[in-house]
Amino acid sequence: MTEFMQALAQGLLIGSTYGLLALGMGLVYGVSGVVNFSHGDFISLGMFMCLGLYSALTLDPYVSIIITVPVMTAIGAVVYWYLIRPMVGHKFLMVVQLTLGLSLVLQNGILMVFGGQPARTPSMVESKLLILGDVVVRVPHVIAFVVSFALAIGLYVMLRSTDFGRSIRAVHQNANAAALMGIDVSRVQTLTFALGIGILAIAAALLLPGTPIQPAQGLRYTVITLLVVVLGGMTNFVGIMLGGLIIGISEAFGTIYLSDTLGMLLPYGIFVLIMLFRPQGLTWSSR
Amino acid sequence: MRPEFYKTLLSPFWLILLVLAVVLPPLLPSYYLHIIILTLVYVALASAWNIVGGMAGQISLAHSLFIGVGAMFSTALLLKLGINMWLGLVISAVISGVLGAIIAWIDFRFRLGHLSFVLITLAFAEMGAVVVEGWDFLGGASGLLLPRDTGNFLQFQFGGGIGAFWAMLVLAVAAILINVAILNAPLGYYLRTIRDNENAARAIGVNVLRYKIAAMVISAMLSSVIGTAYVRYLTFADPYLLISPVIVIEIVLFATVGGLGSAFGPALGAILLVPLGEILRGKLGGVLPGLHYFIYGVVVIAVILITPSGLLPLLEKWWARLRGTAPARK
Repeated sequence: MTEFMQALAQGLLIGSTYGLLALGMGLVYGVSGVVNFSHGDFISLGMFMCLGLYSALTLDPYVSIIITVPVMTAIGAVVYWYLIRPMVGHKFLMVVQLTLGLSLVLQNGILMVFGGQPARTPSMVESKLLILGDVVVRVPHVIAFVVSFALAIGLYVMLRSTDFGRSIRAVHQNANAAALMGIDVSRVQTLTFALGIGILAIAAALLLPGTPIQPAQGLRYTVITLLVVVLGGMTNFVGIMLGGLIIGISEAFGTIYLSDTLGMLLPYGIFVLIMLFRPQGLTWSSR
Repeated sequence: MRPEFYKTLLSPFWLILLVLAVVLPPLLPSYYLHIIILTLVYVALASAWNIVGGMAGQISLAHSLFIGVGAMFSTALLLKLGINMWLGLVISAVISGVLGAIIAWIDFRFRLGHLSFVLITLAFAEMGAVVVEGWDFLGGASGLLLPRDTGNFLQFQFGGGIGAFWAMLVLAVAAILINVAILNAPLGYYLRTIRDNENAARAIGVNVLRYKIAAMVISAMLSSVIGTAYVRYLTFADPYLLISPVIVIEIVLFATVGGLGSAFGPALGAILLVPLGEILRGKLGGVLPGLHYFIYGVVVIAVILITPSGLLPLLEKWWARLRGTAPARK
């Protein structure tokens, strides 16, 4: 039972951050129909920027967010405006291949700068533990959980009740109609992409403490993010956070109760089944 | 077959290439021969992938499964059960064909869209990598080492260097010819109809399931055979190379850069990019690991932004303008 609670707690905590990763991708997909296969490499980029800042200025990952978020947001805006925007009229598959190319550039750019050795970025809270009854959780996981949900709620409120949020939803529902209402669609799409990448900078810092990182990890994060987004029904906000929790928990249970191989297969198995039998995602959309 | 097929086959360009292929390899230093062999491997793989990815328009990332089965399974059969590698090649190709048929059936049965197809095949590719790394029969994460190549043809050995060159040349040419044949055969027209509008294809009576399965099975078996030949050349069955999704992503990028859907486009992409990458790795790999992939990425992005349909159509357009004629429509 202790083992069960332990796995559940760990899965929930990590899953919340997976949900946050996926929110960025879901937002971008909803607004511009782009599935970014370099998503995971942007996470890598965020993590390695934290590592760089630690080596140069001994900044704690949580502090370096002050620098990484604006930088990543700017990178996101530039990438969308100059690389993805010219492709939006073309076939969807070309955008997929463009982001695959971008993934190679990012991954190997990081490899060229930092080398291929697994690296760790120390943090003040890295080894601190929180004991709740029988369950022991690591403080960085708790911080990740709290911040992820706070950000998710913040995003939700932003989408509901600010002008920018309303323009995002308008473009999502009908880009042509939104353009007729005087919304600059390209601008909204660029800002959304930038926002999505900016969120990744925060998520990267949340995942970083205690996790060894290496440049080749990007594709794994991309796949996890895709799993979550698909589980959540691509653009459904609540569904995506829920999907993150499910993937986090299935990963935690899989590695505890099944053999290594089966445990790693479990999330993919769930993903394929959902894709085939409930392609609209787990939650029932109101539309 | 239409007359163009034989015309393409017999143009003097190919005869010159054949003469070069006979004369050049023994004269080249082994390093450059290695680059040529690698290029041929990727020409063959990109052409095999093109049958599904280019003609039928389905970006399959599951091809690492077929390459991996061809490479890892035939190696394991030889090392663990002593089965001749020629037989192993056939068994692996059949397994790959069955896997391909299953994937094509799933795609048809559940009417996956383009995006769903990419995602599902990516999930299959990742699952394949996880299974191979966790299964000792296939060598697990540490891979399998084949016995030394003594040139015994009956044991699927080609005697290294020049023998491997000929084996790969045969495979690459076969893959391209299969592409040309399919493009000019009814199957090619059905596939392009399905790619351009699946519902319309269905409405005019094209048997979508049959042709999707046909394309996938041909492509999968071809990839598997190339995988077996590739691992025989490498002698080391490395799961991180042969069954990782990265190898498919590379193939997709070569095919895209060259030009999807045409018979020679994917080959052109591989011919341009593989030597570039290998030479960069040879010259700068020690100083800056990753540089050649970085440059692949930049080239791919540049080509997609400048000419989204690939380099081959662009070259054809220039060639036509040079000769003052309108380009032929494919």
